[in-house]
Amino acid sequence: MGYKKIFNVALGLTLMVTGVWASCVLASDPPPEGETGSVAVRLVLTEGAVPADDPNAAVWNTIAPAEFKLAPQVHWPDRIQEVTVKSVKVRGMHNGQDLAILLEYADPSEDAADAAAVEFMVGDKMAHFAHGQEMLQVEGGDVNIWYWKKEHGKATDMTAKGFKTLRPQENQDVSATGAWQDGTWRVVFSRPLQTADELDVQVTPGEWRNVAFAFWDGEIVDGAVKEKGSQKAVSSWWYLRAEPPPDNSIYGYVVLGIVLAAGFEFFLVRKIRRGNES
Amino acid sequence: MKGPLAKTAILLVGMYVFLKFILPLFTAPLPASLIFLYLALTFASAMIFYTMSGGGLDEFMGPVGRFLTGSGQAGIAGTARILVFVLFPLLVGWQAYTRLAPSDMPPAENRTIHPAPPGEFVGLANPYPTTPENIMMGKGLYAAFCSPCHGANFDGKGPAAVGFNPPPANFSDPGTIAQLQESYLFWRIKKGGVGLPVEAMPWKSAMPRWEVELPDEWIWKIIMGEYDGAGQSPRTWEEEE
Repeated sequence: MGYKKIFNVALGLTLMVTGVWASCVLASDPPPEGETGSVAVRLVLTEGAVPADDPNAAVWNTIAPAEFKLAPQVHWPDRIQEVTVKSVKVRGMHNGQDLAILLEYADPSEDAADAAAVEFMVGDKMAHFAHGQEMLQVEGGDVNIWYWKKEHGKATDMTAKGFKTLRPQENQDVSATGAWQDGTWRVVFSRPLQTADELDVQVTPGEWRNVAFAFWDGEIVDGAVKEKGSQKAVSSWWYLRAEPPPDNSIYGYVVLGIVLAAGFEFFLVRKIRRGNES
Repeated sequence: MKGPLAKTAILLVGMYVFLKFILPLFTAPLPASLIFLYLALTFASAMIFYTMSGGGLDEFMGPVGRFLTGSGQAGIAGTARILVFVLFPLLVGWQAYTRLAPSDMPPAENRTIHPAPPGEFVGLANPYPTTPENIMMGKGLYAAFCSPCHGANFDGKGPAAVGFNPPPANFSDPGTIAQLQESYLFWRIKKGGVGLPVEAMPWKSAMPRWEVELPDEWIWKIIMGEYDGAGQSPRTWEEEE
């Protein structure tokens, strides 16, 4: 009988350990990947300052990038049939106050007119990825565009709602720095998660935002800039989320659930036994 | 295996096998929720039958009570009892975790691919005759304006297609233009992605609003060229009746 008891206790413990192990493994699954690349950018929560002005900071290499394919801008004239930048790797981090997003992409030459942009939907209304252009059956919202150009050496915080409406905002909240090396641009954009400007995207940890990207190859070909204005490489809308701080209260509820279930078992058995005795 | 509970268990297993594996041989598979509902009804019926036919609830539930209290148990039954007592709280804890844990999954997108067109585009007939000249002109216009995304082979694999989500339609797939009328294509080409209703998520579509660049005549001829090139025929009113 003693052996049986030991066996049962060991079995129970093994099951419990297996359950905890399985829940840890399942909980740490990476975000799903789309057929042609990633579907979301994760701004990893970090302590201390984010590398806002340093595209080459070592800490960037500790973050797994999301990768998005790019297409020529064909939606509106003047469209373009082929573009230099074919895909972009995106890494992001935040510290609860500020965020930084690193765009890494191949461009064979460093040119003054090289440029990159990150676009966000603003507020609750959906906005078309092409500059929030008018939709016929849906009332659209604004887009917030963070634009960086090599020759400007800084970011411009912009707003648009339709073509020909793109304009710099009064409140410039974004900064950007780019570094080109061996055919690769690394451009880092940074901003506080939250701003007081209603034209800005507000990034709340744990909430999903829509994000898109655009790139211009500023190489001079036959005396003209190769890609400019609406002639650019673009992405569709994808998702971005700032990682929320870990919520340990969940484990409290898990323990509470286990205790309540065990208590239920105890009282159920006791009730049946008493019923049988009477 | 002679008690009412065992008989009910066998009945439930048989019912499940029938609903899940045998019935789909003759008709569409049942959704899990409906199977669950049928099993619950079967269980309730069995319980009512046995408790009303003299045996009483004690006879029906007796084995459950003996299992839970462990009276007169040894060997496998005893181990199974411990297993149930350990697993049940763990299952509750796991459920609590999965309900409360923050999701790392982006919001689900239930995008309607072929939404209903506006009334004015329903039932329009192509005003241009299907002649070799018109088809050839349509194919030429398709090559110039449509093929960068929809592909020279009408397969949705043009050089510009790779970056878009949703991807450009593959016209050679029998699930696209072969299921649609010409008037539907006329609407989609003329108004583009921004003309879609909310359920089709117009904010994601890169399809140009061609009415600002192309005359209607060109659009109708492009439709002709598309069907001919993709080897498909438009759905007609006659087929629907």
